[in-house]
Amino acid sequence: MPLKDKLSSYKGVKTVWGKMIPEKEAYQLGCRQIAAFSANLFQVMRILEPDYEKRTSAICEIANMMNMSVASTPEERGNYIKSFRDEWNIPEFCEQSSWLGGITGDSGDEYEDMSGRVIQFTRNRVEKELDTCPWDIVGSEMCNMTTAMFTANFDLNSANGIENEVAVNMCEARGCGDLHCRVVAERRDVYNLPKQGWLDHMNQPVDPVHSTPRERMVTAGQCLRNGQYTNAFGEEKSLEWAYRWMMENGWTWSINFPLVAIRDMAVDDDEFLRIFKIVFATAGKNAFIDSFAVAGMRTWMGVPHEIGWNDGRLMGGYIKAMLDVQLVPNELVRFDQNEVRICIKQEDFTGRFAMAPIDELITGYEVLWHNMVKTMVSTEWSCWFEGVDEELLTLVVGCKVDKRMI
Amino acid sequence: MLFKDDAVARKEHNALRQNVGWYRWTHDLVEFSGSGAGQLLDYLCVNSIAKAGVGQSKYTTMLDEKGKIIDDVIVTRINENDYWVSILYAPKLILRLAALKGDLDVQYQELTDQIDMYSIQGPNSLKMMNDLVDNSLDGLKHFTMEDTTISEIPVKIHRGGFTGELGYEVYCKLADSKAVAAVIREIGDKFGAVEPTTLEVYVRSVPMEKGFALRQDLYGLTPYECGLDWSVDLSKDFVGKEALIRAQEEGLKNRLVGLEFEAESYEDISQGEAVKRYGVQVGIVRAAIYGYTIDKNIGFAIVDAKVPFGARVTVGCNDSPAIVTEKKWL
Repeated sequence: MPLKDKLSSYKGVKTVWGKMIPEKEAYQLGCRQIAAFSANLFQVMRILEPDYEKRTSAICEIANMMNMSVASTPEERGNYIKSFRDEWNIPEFCEQSSWLGGITGDSGDEYEDMSGRVIQFTRNRVEKELDTCPWDIVGSEMCNMTTAMFTANFDLNSANGIENEVAVNMCEARGCGDLHCRVVAERRDVYNLPKQGWLDHMNQPVDPVHSTPRERMVTAGQCLRNGQYTNAFGEEKSLEWAYRWMMENGWTWSINFPLVAIRDMAVDDDEFLRIFKIVFATAGKNAFIDSFAVAGMRTWMGVPHEIGWNDGRLMGGYIKAMLDVQLVPNELVRFDQNEVRICIKQEDFTGRFAMAPIDELITGYEVLWHNMVKTMVSTEWSCWFEGVDEELLTLVVGCKVDKRMI
Repeated sequence: MLFKDDAVARKEHNALRQNVGWYRWTHDLVEFSGSGAGQLLDYLCVNSIAKAGVGQSKYTTMLDEKGKIIDDVIVTRINENDYWVSILYAPKLILRLAALKGDLDVQYQELTDQIDMYSIQGPNSLKMMNDLVDNSLDGLKHFTMEDTTISEIPVKIHRGGFTGELGYEVYCKLADSKAVAAVIREIGDKFGAVEPTTLEVYVRSVPMEKGFALRQDLYGLTPYECGLDWSVDLSKDFVGKEALIRAQEEGLKNRLVGLEFEAESYEDISQGEAVKRYGVQVGIVRAAIYGYTIDKNIGFAIVDAKVPFGARVTVGCNDSPAIVTEKKWL
């Protein structure tokens, strides 16, 4: 009986020890990595601005403004609408008004593994329900901020291209502890609703919502379930496409946008950086505080028994896997008992979305990983970047003594 | 997504099925003209377009070189050498044309931004149309078009639609669209006509019960796998013909079928969901919706051709139970 000539090929991330992380798992990890960075950043925000309303308004305003920047002139707006309708094959019989903004929102949700469904999609009312959200750990300011981005989607698609015709409410949110996230947009003229301010987006809608029972809920987005996202008009985006989109754009909306406002909350850059580093250091130290977390990670990465528990290669292997999961090009140039070195082009590390590089990724990950290695491996080990002001960054995991180490 | 307890959607659905409803139904429209227009369209489409008389329409699919459907369209012969192609993907069609046109005497242009269209559908649509237009439409046959006027505004009336009911499509100049809509609304009110606001009612629920599929349900399959054998004219040449003949000789690999979901609702079913039989994947879902006339959650799926009608399958991540059926319920 003839045998197969070879095994089938599948896409994935290979750890330095040869363990395969399937593409879908890598995608999920990538989303959660961005969400975790975002959660840390929002802690910085809460220290800098103790007033919930003030900080939430600030990030809402900036998120809306950044989303609207794609069409700041009537000509740009016309081009945006045309390319938007072409990209999603929106039929001519669909009236150009705010409801079409739901198409942007639905696709973005699915790329971000926020799984759920469009409950209702009519000119007068759009209801979107989510069962999962990798960003649900960030907190309710983030949930509010996403309504500001939805507002921009509805503004851009409005009949006048400037101001939407709807009231948008995230009437449930997993970041608030609800079972579902739910955004409802209802036409103000049809439902007799007032125009909203940034903090008016958590109200209940006029019409009753449809709540999906637990047994019909889904645990992953369309790309992860079916290998592709398909919108209402039959346009499709593959898992591969969505993964790449996510690793480029996820950082932008959930880090870059709020960061603009959060930096302004500090009295100066030094104060911002001081608090930023403390928060990320704490998060790093706590990541592997329990020995079973390290044991689980070793199994996940396929670490062989001959690699001991006080070996910097554990941290190096972990960082390499995370860079690969995040689709950041990198090169492992040293990997032995004494040291791990990974080279990364600075523009690749900070410029996930090339037009809006995030320099804070260097500081954030340096502090996070430096403190993570203390509990994942031991306090003898440190992690730092070399070449921070140069084109080529080198991430080092090594032993270092510093009498003022924190 | 539609649910059985959605009273608004049910009312809109029932109006189209039992009385009459109307809605703006403008598709992309591409005009072909010139002495070679019929020949080019014959080469693009599996159906015999050039055989259509003036004023006649034909439903047809277009294939790729592998014999797989890339789109489905309605082609209407407007004049001896003029055709309208009603399509949802005009930019993609136009991109293909440059390579296929060759030396034929054909000009083509997109009319989407010049022509608007309203659909009047339902068993009472003829009565409403006869009040609406300035002459009787009693003699207008299915899939034919004629010129007439509405309140002296020139329009083209096409008998057809995407509901499976008696229906008419009113084509007018974009500049006249609001005036035409106003008259339709006024006359419609006399007949209790509903203007549905729920897209899925007239794009999915009403059509699917009658077995009407969208391009997104058909693409990637052969016309035979979709049960569209009747539309294929093998006596002429067309893109994908050789591959289609080979596929026919090899026998069906897959087929487009209906699904009846047994759960109360289908929130966990989206396009592309896995269809499993005895725990093994045998296909994927192409669409799911609630049908208010038959009061069932139904859908289309592509399944292995060996899966028989009546087979019990499970769908999606929650193993939602379903039965494979013919893809037409009414």
